[in-house]
Amino acid sequence: MYGQDLFPLLISASLGGALLSIVTKRWEQACRAISFTAAAVVSLIGLVIALEVLLVGGQVAFTIPTSVAALGHFTFVVDRLSAFFMLAISSLGLCVSIYSIGYTREYAGRYSPATMGSLFSIFLLSLFLVVTASNAVLFLIMWETMSLSSYLLVVYESRNRESVSSGLLYVVMTHLGTALITVAFIIMWLHTPGEHSFDFSAFRELSAGALPEAARAAAFLLLLVGFGTKAGLVPLHVWLPQAHPAAPSNISAMMSGVMVKTAVYMLIRCYFDFLGVTDSWWGLVVLLVASVSALVGVLYALMEEDIKRALAYSTVENVGLIFIGLGAAMVFQSYYLADPAANAHLADLAALALIAVLFHTLAHSLFKGLLFMGAGAVMYATHTRDLEEMGGLAKRMRWTGILFFIGALSISAIPPFSGFVGEWLMFQSLLLTQNINDPMVNVLLPVAVAVLALTGALAAACFVRVFGATFLARPRSKHAAEAVEVPRTMLTGMGIAAGASVLLGILSVFIVPVIDSVTSSVLGVSIASKLVNGLVLMPPAGEFSSMSPVIIGALLLFAVPFAYFATRDLGGRRPVEKGDTWDCGTPLSSRTEYSAAGFSNPINRIFRSIYRPHTEVRTEYTSSTLIKRKISFSSTIEPVFERYLYAPVAALVIALARRVGVIQKGSIQAYLAYIFVILLVLLVVFR
Amino acid sequence: MAGNRMLTLVRLFALQSLALGALALTVALVTGSAHIYAVAILTVVIKGMIIPWMLLYVMRQIKVDREVEPVVSIPMSLLLCGGLTVVAFYLTQPIIFVGGAIDTITKNCLAISLAVVFIGFFTMISRKKAITQIMGLLTMENGLFLAAISVTYGMPLIVELGIFFDILVAVLIMGLFAFRINKTFASVDTTILRRLRD
Repeated sequence: MYGQDLFPLLISASLGGALLSIVTKRWEQACRAISFTAAAVVSLIGLVIALEVLLVGGQVAFTIPTSVAALGHFTFVVDRLSAFFMLAISSLGLCVSIYSIGYTREYAGRYSPATMGSLFSIFLLSLFLVVTASNAVLFLIMWETMSLSSYLLVVYESRNRESVSSGLLYVVMTHLGTALITVAFIIMWLHTPGEHSFDFSAFRELSAGALPEAARAAAFLLLLVGFGTKAGLVPLHVWLPQAHPAAPSNISAMMSGVMVKTAVYMLIRCYFDFLGVTDSWWGLVVLLVASVSALVGVLYALMEEDIKRALAYSTVENVGLIFIGLGAAMVFQSYYLADPAANAHLADLAALALIAVLFHTLAHSLFKGLLFMGAGAVMYATHTRDLEEMGGLAKRMRWTGILFFIGALSISAIPPFSGFVGEWLMFQSLLLTQNINDPMVNVLLPVAVAVLALTGALAAACFVRVFGATFLARPRSKHAAEAVEVPRTMLTGMGIAAGASVLLGILSVFIVPVIDSVTSSVLGVSIASKLVNGLVLMPPAGEFSSMSPVIIGALLLFAVPFAYFATRDLGGRRPVEKGDTWDCGTPLSSRTEYSAAGFSNPINRIFRSIYRPHTEVRTEYTSSTLIKRKISFSSTIEPVFERYLYAPVAALVIALARRVGVIQKGSIQAYLAYIFVILLVLLVVFR
Repeated sequence: MAGNRMLTLVRLFALQSLALGALALTVALVTGSAHIYAVAILTVVIKGMIIPWMLLYVMRQIKVDREVEPVVSIPMSLLLCGGLTVVAFYLTQPIIFVGGAIDTITKNCLAISLAVVFIGFFTMISRKKAITQIMGLLTMENGLFLAAISVTYGMPLIVELGIFFDILVAVLIMGLFAFRINKTFASVDTTILRRLRD
């Protein structure tokens, strides 16, 4: 067991890395290399610990001494669930650390590399510690460290007004969430049996029914809203498409890839481990919110013209997918617990849904990290985030293009890539629900299935659009035309993520049993033997459908070159004649290309009731109405949630503040009078 | 409160401080403890002489008007102060008369001291000029001092010395502020500070 010794090393190595990057801040080049190499080493240590716990078993525990006995034991415990999330954090952390060595050159001379390096180390460490903390107070401390360090990284470009205001929105929303989580923990703490304790081991005894019904429901809702804020569930998502793109791209990759997943981790832990899922409405609520999130996320991603905002909205969508799986698992688990004897097969389904959740979590952290790193590489080369100003980058940035393409294929759920396997597992678990006799479930689950299908198709369209507008055709601006390939460290970082993403999909038959060991530690039911049959994945309830990513992969490996050679050679060589495309007499330029807005316009029309688009075409004529000098086009979509949910709330708060502001008279005498009156009243009341 | 001249106000403060010194002297004679003698002398010297002199100096320097300029009219102030004194007696009644919580010869002074604190506070609220606010604060301090000496026969000498030093420096600083306010706004009327809001 190396993990026991490695865990303190992990903590000291990242703190040391943070310190080193501050010490070396005079030498920018060295500072970048040192701080991010240290972060890569930390990630490797985390990877070793995670793999050891996952493959060998056992637990790693590390206690820091506290002087306040009432707060319990400040212990970090790496059990299987923690180890799985550590795996996601460390593998993406490794890629992003390597990538950052090159990427931060973008900021050379403008912003301090020491700030970025040290904050990155702390952020990475806090991510590890959030998923291993085994005490509610310790967890909240780490959670806040994570929120604050990521906030500071979001506002890293401190002279950029947009970054700062996005950061403010983020920090407000995240603290709102933290407040609700704290209240939920306090409710749970009040009901811990025996001596009140903040230790998770005491929280675990809550599932034995120690909590009154109302308190359970309150804790459930508070946790859902609190963690949903961090995860970016609709309608709490508004900060996410603002803050994730405003951060430097390596940070966006970490935030979108793994930070939102810490909320998933803690929800699994709280619901399945602490509270126990016995009410079926919990799962249905989660399912409903998640379906809306998935749909709204992908719809906005499709309309977005900023490459990083499109990716951020896609994160909202994917979090929605993950929560659909979570909701399904909760529904199955609640029906199983209601009647364990009659509904034994539902336990299998709950496990299947939870496996899908964890698989998609890992897969999404890899490919979304990859895509954000790719977007960062594009920005590094072109210095713009506007899709309409890109184009033609595949020729100029060959490797970035290939790696981004792999990410796009994965997220669009094309077999045998990792995104496909996750969504397939999710579909299987949802499609097998005909066994539950409850009209509400029978209505909502098919809706979730439909949303899943629609989302998948729209996501594919979205990434065709993003990839096409960025990398294909001719450059639409000078920036894009002058782009050159990014440094090798950046390509290496992306390459590792892409490789891991592909392998995760193809080798999923070997990975699913490992995830099964994680879910069985949570649910107590192992379905690996039913799920994996040789090289074929099949759902546990009979001959419904089965799938083997390995075989699909092998077939593709064989089929793609075969198709290529077959089309080239079998029909015999045809004579090739080269000439211009027919262009109606107008010379073709990059302005005649299919633009990103043009690509998504049909979808804009179909979903106009959601988007409420506002389009304006302005034409300037010369002296003749037949000859137009200039046509300008602008199209905006209405931010529904900001306008109809947040704006009224903000207006209400401001109105209240005005009311209260009346007492701010500005005169010393008035203030003194307030104090005097309060003093008198207190003296008389407490005489 | 009835005085509508600055000079009267300062003189009244000096008188109050001298009375306080006399009270401290009485306590010292009764208890015979040495440090209260020192406190009594300090009170007379610092509060009865130095501080009034400093206030008069500041007033001469900034050529403040003689008028006090009350926010609340003088008859109304007098009525309110009477009310506050009643409240002070009402508040301290259970402390003074019930049980042997406090057992000193001057325990009835507690109500008076609380009334002095209230009236000092009321002076700060109801008068416009910065100088009158300093006066109000000093009156409050006198009230507190009275409470301390009458309830517990005085605090340890070191604490007393600290308080005296404190009040001296406070008057210095507040005098300085009055100078600055006068220089900036050409008046020491604190209602002008209203503009600093928002």
